[in-house]
Amino acid sequence: MKRTVLALAAAAALAVSGCAANANSSSNGSGAEDAGDTLVAAYSEGGKTLDPAEANDVTSDTFVVAAYDQLVTYARTEDGGKPKAKTDQIVPMLAESWKASADNTSYTFKLRADAKFQDGAPVTADAVVKSFDHIKASSSASFLYKMAGIAKVTKVDEQNVKIDLTAPNHLFLQILPMYSFSIIDMDKVAQNGGAKWLATNTAGSGPYKITKWDPSTEAAMARNDSYWGDKPKLRQVNVKFIAEASNRVQLLKKAEVGLALEVPPKDVQSLKAADGVTIDSRAGNKILFFAMNNKIKPFDDPRVRQAVSYAIPYEKLLNDVMKGQASPMKSSVASSTPGFSDAGYTYTHDLDKARALLAQAGLPQGFSFDFTLGSGFDDWNDDAVLIQAELAKIGVTMNIKKMARPQFLEALETKKVQAYITRWTSFVNDPGYHLGLLLTSQGSSNYANFSDPVVDKAWEQASTEPDVAKRNKLYGVAQQEINTKAPWAYLYEYNIVVAHRAGLDGYTSYPDGIVRFFQLSVTK
Amino acid sequence: MPDLKSRPTTTLSLLLRNRLAVVGLVFIALWTLGALLSGLSPYGATQPGAGALLQGPSWAHPFGTDNFGRDLLTRVLAGGRISLWTGLIAIAISLLIGVPLGAFAGFVRGRAGGLVMRLMDMLLAFPSLVLAMAIAAALGPGMVSAMVAVGIVGIPEFARIVHGQVLSLRERDFVEAGHAIGLPGRSILIRHIVPNALAPILVRATLGMGYAILTAASLSFIGLGAQPPDPEWGVLISDGRGYIISGEWWMTTFPGLAIATSILGFNLLGDGLRDVLDPRLRTSK
Repeated sequence: MKRTVLALAAAAALAVSGCAANANSSSNGSGAEDAGDTLVAAYSEGGKTLDPAEANDVTSDTFVVAAYDQLVTYARTEDGGKPKAKTDQIVPMLAESWKASADNTSYTFKLRADAKFQDGAPVTADAVVKSFDHIKASSSASFLYKMAGIAKVTKVDEQNVKIDLTAPNHLFLQILPMYSFSIIDMDKVAQNGGAKWLATNTAGSGPYKITKWDPSTEAAMARNDSYWGDKPKLRQVNVKFIAEASNRVQLLKKAEVGLALEVPPKDVQSLKAADGVTIDSRAGNKILFFAMNNKIKPFDDPRVRQAVSYAIPYEKLLNDVMKGQASPMKSSVASSTPGFSDAGYTYTHDLDKARALLAQAGLPQGFSFDFTLGSGFDDWNDDAVLIQAELAKIGVTMNIKKMARPQFLEALETKKVQAYITRWTSFVNDPGYHLGLLLTSQGSSNYANFSDPVVDKAWEQASTEPDVAKRNKLYGVAQQEINTKAPWAYLYEYNIVVAHRAGLDGYTSYPDGIVRFFQLSVTK
Repeated sequence: MPDLKSRPTTTLSLLLRNRLAVVGLVFIALWTLGALLSGLSPYGATQPGAGALLQGPSWAHPFGTDNFGRDLLTRVLAGGRISLWTGLIAIAISLLIGVPLGAFAGFVRGRAGGLVMRLMDMLLAFPSLVLAMAIAAALGPGMVSAMVAVGIVGIPEFARIVHGQVLSLRERDFVEAGHAIGLPGRSILIRHIVPNALAPILVRATLGMGYAILTAASLSFIGLGAQPPDPEWGVLISDGRGYIISGEWWMTTFPGLAIATSILGFNLLGDGLRDVLDPRLRTSK
């Protein structure tokens, strides 16, 4: 009988897994409501590196923007009384001013005289030059360096740095505020043995010092009291890494954390009703799409891809899966990106049209294909099940194969996955950046092998076109072609949802989804 | 030999006199029947939209509905078909490989036998779920790989039991007699030794069913087993776990109960069988 009891216990544990972590209900003094200058935040994952040039996920990026400053940054504006980033306006940060040459191929940045790294060394032109060298040599941010068109970075004097471009490039000033382009105290890095040290340590001039970073449990930040800029209001920020979404929701409800990210749509309603919780849900530029590999039959035929686009139950995805925390996506570029165009977008949930297109493509009986489902996001799973059921109605069999996220990302890079769902956020809110990575023949993230001469040509012309209106017209041409050829079925644009306790002020919504803790304050 | 002929009826009647074993049989029969009849449900097991989303248990949907409006009772019953099949096939794999290996090792002994048993020890040294995960991951996600993985993990148990049985049986008089009249070794092993080792194998196979179902459900729970939209029990629990906190308890409770009761069923039956089949236990009653 011992065996029976053990097996039963195991089955019961399987049945209630997920409950255990919520078992403690004691409220200690670390909650946002108890201490006015301390915030505890709940994130889903712990980040991979603290190196600004290698960071590539929201958690890592969050620590980088806390510990480092950049030369310039995005302006802030108000949207319905709530602060929001204005990404097309660039304002001073470590550089107090800058001048462009007449032909827009050279910029000279004048550094603030009072800016200091966290251990007291001044932020000098040398540091800027060495930081850019580090970015250029990095494996992650080096492509941004190329995309910004940077040819040479030189020190003019202690306070002035000159950056030469290969050609006029409208993305240059857009890319500089990114966390990747943080200014690092490279002398300190050299003293500690080189760039590898940066993966787990920081050498920035930013408003917070990272005092603890354990990616499997939690991280802590302390205010940099000698910060050159506005002093952050929060003295201490602790970030807990809690993978299970329901646990984050529960901790927020019980005020054990003051802010939570990645709140599932189904929990947004219940949180709205909860006492003392504020939901900040705003349109962002994070998109979700169903990509079909254009080099693998039958998706090499645009009519088949269009048929799939007509079979997607768009309303159900928005209402049943996302519970309204997303909006329709009608172009490969997010609707909040300047230059967005939905020309050529005609897709609705219309199975008759889908069947007709399949018949035209010579597949009246439908077909069968493999769909790879990356783990980690419940909405992807739900979308896949709903799409699978709709495709079944037009005779198309979608074989779902689940894959753990690291393997999924590796598989995508082989460009041999037949169909998949993935999300994308363009941190540079510009169609040139976005399309260049995702949908041009040379695009490094063009995992669905879309290759179209019209798109390539329009993108090429636009990349050196200085006039905004003409440039956006070219991007419009590219988007129309993409909408018609349908390399992806567009699923939706996510809202950026941040749930926090009432009394937390200053949260500013950025398209990159990164919370800038130095802007926050807590009032009781 | 009248004794042998009457034995099956004796075994069955003895088993039916064991109340716990009968309870186990009833659980197994219920889930088997449910699996067979799941196709008769007015709702599809995989098509979304049979009812409203996330409804609690009601007369129309006794187990409630899931986040796609699918009827959970239909899915749990249909899931039984997958889970029971998985258990059966996994045990069959373990049996078909484990029994010959154990019998061989026990009969020939020496270096070859030792090698086989050390290989089995190596397999046993791994935590079984971890080994199953590794095998399933290597084969690629899917129910077939889950069956194979669970089957392979079960091999050493059977090999060890049969090995032990053969080691003791080969010293018995009837085996000596076989050798004495010049029967070939293979024939002694297959026709005289293995049949006499069947009782513990049968007990182990019954107990192993429960374990196989649980392991397969665990694999599905972490995404290595059944793929959407198949309603395997582990998948149902995995799908429902995000809804425990928000109050939709039925999405995990019913599949959880299904796993628990079916494992309980096989374990009770296995315990009962052991009591009945083990002569020492029987005489001590």
